[in-house]
Amino acid sequence: MQTPFPRRHALALLATCAAALPAAPAWAVDALAQSRSFVSMFGNKLVNIVNSDLPLEKKKQDILPLLNQYVDVDAIARFCLGRYWRIATPEQQTRYLKLFHDVLVNAITDKIGDYRGVTFVVGTSAPSGDDTAVSTVINRPGQPGADTQWIISTASGSPKVVDVVGEGASLRLTQRQDYGSFIARNGGNVDALLRALDKQIANHH
Amino acid sequence: MRAETGSNSWSSRPFPSLRRPALRVLGMALGLLGLAACAAPPPTDPDALAEYKEANDKYEKLNRKGFDLTMWANKYTLRPVAKAYIWAVPRPLRNSFGSLYQTMNEPVVFFNDVGAGKPRRAGDAFVRWCINMTAGIGGLIDVANYAGYTHHDNDAGLTLATWGVPSGPYLFLPVLGPSSFRDGLGYGIDVGLSPWNYVPRGYGLLTFNWAYNIMGTINGMATNVDALDQVMKDSLDPYATIRSAYQQQRKAMAEAIKNDHRATVPDWYSNR
Repeated sequence: MQTPFPRRHALALLATCAAALPAAPAWAVDALAQSRSFVSMFGNKLVNIVNSDLPLEKKKQDILPLLNQYVDVDAIARFCLGRYWRIATPEQQTRYLKLFHDVLVNAITDKIGDYRGVTFVVGTSAPSGDDTAVSTVINRPGQPGADTQWIISTASGSPKVVDVVGEGASLRLTQRQDYGSFIARNGGNVDALLRALDKQIANHH
Repeated sequence: MRAETGSNSWSSRPFPSLRRPALRVLGMALGLLGLAACAAPPPTDPDALAEYKEANDKYEKLNRKGFDLTMWANKYTLRPVAKAYIWAVPRPLRNSFGSLYQTMNEPVVFFNDVGAGKPRRAGDAFVRWCINMTAGIGGLIDVANYAGYTHHDNDAGLTLATWGVPSGPYLFLPVLGPSSFRDGLGYGIDVGLSPWNYVPRGYGLLTFNWAYNIMGTINGMATNVDALDQVMKDSLDPYATIRSAYQQQRKAMAEAIKNDHRATVPDWYSNR
């Protein structure tokens, strides 16, 4: 068969194309698959604890190491403080990280009771900036399924959750606006936030 | 607060404060015009400016007044009523009322789907209306959901968003809840799109309309009361939290509509 485009040219072209393709896609596909299996693994561990017959206090205890291992609490904390992170003194930063950790853990463990009988389905994963967004649908008995995205970052060396997006609203972004607005209304004083977080933890039961 | 028609807490048909459509639209227009006079100047510090732009809240001072007033009124009126309603009415029945309210709003969703140029969504809304008004006994049972036609929200604010109309500054409208210039205008359009405002008065229809709106409002509050309580308790600045969540959700909803390129034939047909 005669062709105006010799086969070896075609091969060369193909090779050039392949070489020109950045290495990213192969890596990105890996990262997507990795994040997806991470969410499924982490989710299953959480759901197993939440749905077990253990007493609530024991469930809270069991969930703590999971959160420490698979959620990048420090990264979330820094994000939530926004521009005030740079203004804060090192002491304020340390105190804030500690307080934020407690607030986040309280917020999560408070929900355990509400999620009895929960199931979840992991959907697709897609790049989201430097991170990966994994879609899931969380189903609770008697309630419509909630579309939830998990933002997974590997910046710390292993995949970790850095944000949760529920019905289009990012938790860390919403939190940053909450803290930012609170600090701004208290004269740009980070200590005001620390006091408020202290109070929040003290009032928690 | 707003009544609940779908999966989204802040997106649905707002609280029916003014009953006559013309009055509602006029009130809205006057309110929007009046705002122009009280915008705060933007900050000069670049970080503060970025924050100011992210919040998109030129009229914060006025909005906060509306928020405080609404939350105060809510605490003593709608919230206790909704709590009593949850206590008195079992969940399946509450779900039925929610479904009824949702079905009755389906024409508005349909017109907006058409306006957004999304035939598949419009078809779903249309079929949902037909099935639920008949087999679903006026919407009391969401039969369409079991038949594979799940509910989706739409309103004129979102339709305008798909046309590329920017949201404009954030607004917290007293009693109506979080909104924006675009969504406020959309609300006026939705009132005009609802066929219930065109049925002749009398013949018990007026009573029906009242009952429908009050029921929808109480039921919507009952659905959201726990989430709202939690925001009020957990946030250091609930106003800013709601502002952020609302604007993010509206953006995500508009994006979802824009990116919905499903075929117009149903899944069971196209998957054969």
